Amino acid sequence: MENYRFLLLTLGATIIGLLSFLLLSARNKSIGSTVLVFVNSLLTTIPAIYVLGGNVIDLSIDGSAFFGAIPIRIDALSSWFILIINFTCINGAIYGIGYTKPYSNQKSNFSLHWALYPVFHLSMIWVCMLQHSMLFLIAWELMSFSSLLLVIFDYEKKNTLKAGINYLVQMHIGVVFLSIAFICVYVSVGSFDFRAIGTFFNSHSNIGLFALFFIGFGIKAGFIPFHTWLPQAHPAAPSHVSGVMSGVIVKLGIYGIFRIVTFVRHDYIIIGEVVLGISLLSGLLGIFNAAVQRNYKKMLAYCTIENIGIIGMGIGLGLMGLGNDNVFLVVAGFGGALLHSLNHSLFKSLLFFAAGSVFQQTHTKNMEKLGGLIKQMPQTAWVFLLGAIAIGGLPPFNGFISEFILYRGFLEGVKSTNFSFITLMIISLASLAIIGGLSLLAFTKSFGTIFLGKPRSTLIHQPQEVSLIMLLPKYLIIAVMLSIGIFPQFYFAIAEKSVFSVFAIDNNLASNQLPSFVSSLSLIGMYSLLFFLLIITVYIVRSGFASKHSASYNVTWGCAYSAPKASMQYTGKSFSKSLAKLVGLAITERKNYPEITSAEIFPRDRHYSSYYIDNFTTTINKVANRMVFGMNYFQFMQNGKIQMYILYGLIFIVITFLGTVFNFI
Amino acid sequence: MISFALIVVSSLFFTGIVIRTKSLTSGRKGPGIFQPINDIIRLLKKGAVYSETTSFIFQIAPSVQFASVLMAILVIPFGQYHGFISFDGDFVFFAYVLALGKFFSIISALDTGSSFEGMGASREALYSMLVEPAFFMLMGSLALLTGYTSFHDIFFSLHFGSYVSYALGVMATFVLVMIAMIENSRMPVDDPKTHLELTMVHEVMILDNSGFDLGLILHTTNLKFAMYGALIANLFVGNLHWYVTIPMFFGIQMLFAISVGLLESFTARYRMTHNAQFIFTLSSVSLLIFFGVLLVLGKFL
Repeated sequence: MENYRFLLLTLGATIIGLLSFLLLSARNKSIGSTVLVFVNSLLTTIPAIYVLGGNVIDLSIDGSAFFGAIPIRIDALSSWFILIINFTCINGAIYGIGYTKPYSNQKSNFSLHWALYPVFHLSMIWVCMLQHSMLFLIAWELMSFSSLLLVIFDYEKKNTLKAGINYLVQMHIGVVFLSIAFICVYVSVGSFDFRAIGTFFNSHSNIGLFALFFIGFGIKAGFIPFHTWLPQAHPAAPSHVSGVMSGVIVKLGIYGIFRIVTFVRHDYIIIGEVVLGISLLSGLLGIFNAAVQRNYKKMLAYCTIENIGIIGMGIGLGLMGLGNDNVFLVVAGFGGALLHSLNHSLFKSLLFFAAGSVFQQTHTKNMEKLGGLIKQMPQTAWVFLLGAIAIGGLPPFNGFISEFILYRGFLEGVKSTNFSFITLMIISLASLAIIGGLSLLAFTKSFGTIFLGKPRSTLIHQPQEVSLIMLLPKYLIIAVMLSIGIFPQFYFAIAEKSVFSVFAIDNNLASNQLPSFVSSLSLIGMYSLLFFLLIITVYIVRSGFASKHSASYNVTWGCAYSAPKASMQYTGKSFSKSLAKLVGLAITERKNYPEITSAEIFPRDRHYSSYYIDNFTTTINKVANRMVFGMNYFQFMQNGKIQMYILYGLIFIVITFLGTVFNFI
Repeated sequence: MISFALIVVSSLFFTGIVIRTKSLTSGRKGPGIFQPINDIIRLLKKGAVYSETTSFIFQIAPSVQFASVLMAILVIPFGQYHGFISFDGDFVFFAYVLALGKFFSIISALDTGSSFEGMGASREALYSMLVEPAFFMLMGSLALLTGYTSFHDIFFSLHFGSYVSYALGVMATFVLVMIAMIENSRMPVDDPKTHLELTMVHEVMILDNSGFDLGLILHTTNLKFAMYGALIANLFVGNLHWYVTIPMFFGIQMLFAISVGLLESFTARYRMTHNAQFIFTLSSVSLLIFFGVLLVLGKFL
């Protein structure tokens, strides 16, 4: 069968699937939806793998006179992201069956949610395939809307709705930038085909249009300073959706930036420097905020910003490689970014799923109220631990591989001759090291506070291990993560091939370092395995020795105080307090505490609470509020009188008419 | 593998020399240099007391720490001989393997649910995070200087020719010594002999460990010290014959141990709040090395 048939079949399958939804009982809709996602994934995975094998799918469908020819292209870049989307969405759907089970009595809400999930999945895939700017924006909008409705599943909560509206507005600001950029291209070149962007870049300055695209896609990706929707929307969404959002929706912003980068023709260095700078900022600020959060889903959301920063660093590095004609930098940068996109989609969805299991059992997102869950939910605890190790970039897991590739890229960049370039590389190297160290702090804190020690508060329901259907996707993800950690050369080879095919690098230029680099990657895989075996050996030896001697159990040492209480444990807040003091420039601590006044002779009960705010968000909100305030001056125009509105229309028509008559427009 | 053997051997007496130096400077005779290793062997034969709060994490953490240091030692080269593990960028692997050990030591401290151990864990996490950029900038500068990116190639081709590069060598040694002190929680940052839980860093994290586990953890520290000593030795050993380099190696290890002892005898621990600033200044020393390298290579502007 021709490959494009598969693609059109996805549309048919979705329509038939959604129609058959009417026949299913409410409780089975989650299963039906999962089957549909699975079918669509299968239909799109086949062409994606075909493309990764070295082919290109380039179709042109005849649209109406309005759309013109509609190009549908799948190249290696699209396939890479399609595979990420499919894997994460299937996992999200399976996990979601278990996660939404308690909600199945809210019939209409439940049905809408699960009916939209396949639509959302499909729209993401079409975003990766359509290369017609207008249809691309339609698919993009469909994706934003369906994800919005998935986010506000808990629509009765005020905060959820607020986060949803925030998300909606910011996504549309992004679309405005994208539309302007596409219109610029259309006006200048006269085609909706994405290739027109390349034509535009050939003859114009690249910086302005790239900036428009970068802002438009950057809002989706969550680069600082366009990130403010992210820490609100991720915690508000149900966990299977936050896993998918963090795993793939933000990645589509990355896909967009990648796509535009393939068309850039000049000014690589300056664009690369700016992307690298913004990414460093995102990485550092993201992880600073993640380390101090008390809400564990918010912590994960900020951590997403950090990882987007790491991916962005790779893109910046690759761009600078293009500018300096250094193929190794291009492959290490773009290849590292692609691999980190895959890795992040794996461990971040894993962590969100684990966090969702904790939330389902304890009904709190505040980690300071939890503790000791490893006893009641051992499997979830181990899953979270492995995810935390992977996201910290520690061997033997996959996070290390992509970070190592970036480190190697930066070290290679250090050898260049340009002073400012070398300095930038050293700064990036140091920042990546700080980010790695801080994510260790952030995740030891979260894991330690949620799962270790004693329960810090009495929960209404005793938490239990979650059902198999909620654990199954996590084990699947861990298996893939381990395979990347131990056999990185296969995954990197695919990423490398994609970079070569998408960026049309001259193969003769390819440095002789690349083969040795791939072989060193395979060595790392082997050593990671060795490391794992070494740990097990040491542990077995240790257990052998320990079993010969008696072991007794007693209370934790408390400076000879033998009646410790759970509330005396070290809290997550105090764990990260000294860090928060150090980075006061980025994070401010706010305290809620009514001071005792002199008039108050008998003080009442009072509560003390403190929380951290992200200074960047506050600044952005201030600017936005100013702008809204400025807009108030134009409120007289929106006066609700229909006559006035007709008058506006008339004035507009007259101006357009006169403008054309006198050749102003 | 030769570096592995040498490091393991020197780890046996390293702490002994430190303790001996300290006792001599304070006017005592002090124990023999093999006393610490004897203590560890005694601990290995003992039973253990565990906290009721702890979980499996607490059981496995000492083994992970020990394994991570062993793995890191395998990366270290010796003069002209490769380490067991050697590839371009292997020092990234080195740092991240050590970080895994640290990860487990931190969560094992949190596993006890103690009011003190979290404090130490928090400090350890913060300090080790602050050390990382100094280490990476140092290695990045050395990579720039030599044009190579693996431990072996960097050290092998490192030649101190001019005066500026001597200064670089001194500064690099200083950074490595300081990193070793911080990573092992020694004096300017942490006082291993303190008896107050509130002022400890590393000691407070292992309050609940006993028996075999404690022995493992203590020997992990010895190995780590010898490992950093070997890194420093590598800065100077270069391309000489083994019958010169091996005595040189032990000489440098001893010198390092004695200087650690002297440093501990004559300095006081910094205030906890100043530690972070102090550690971060290491990064600025690394930055100086970086600019020095740029000067040597004539790439400065």
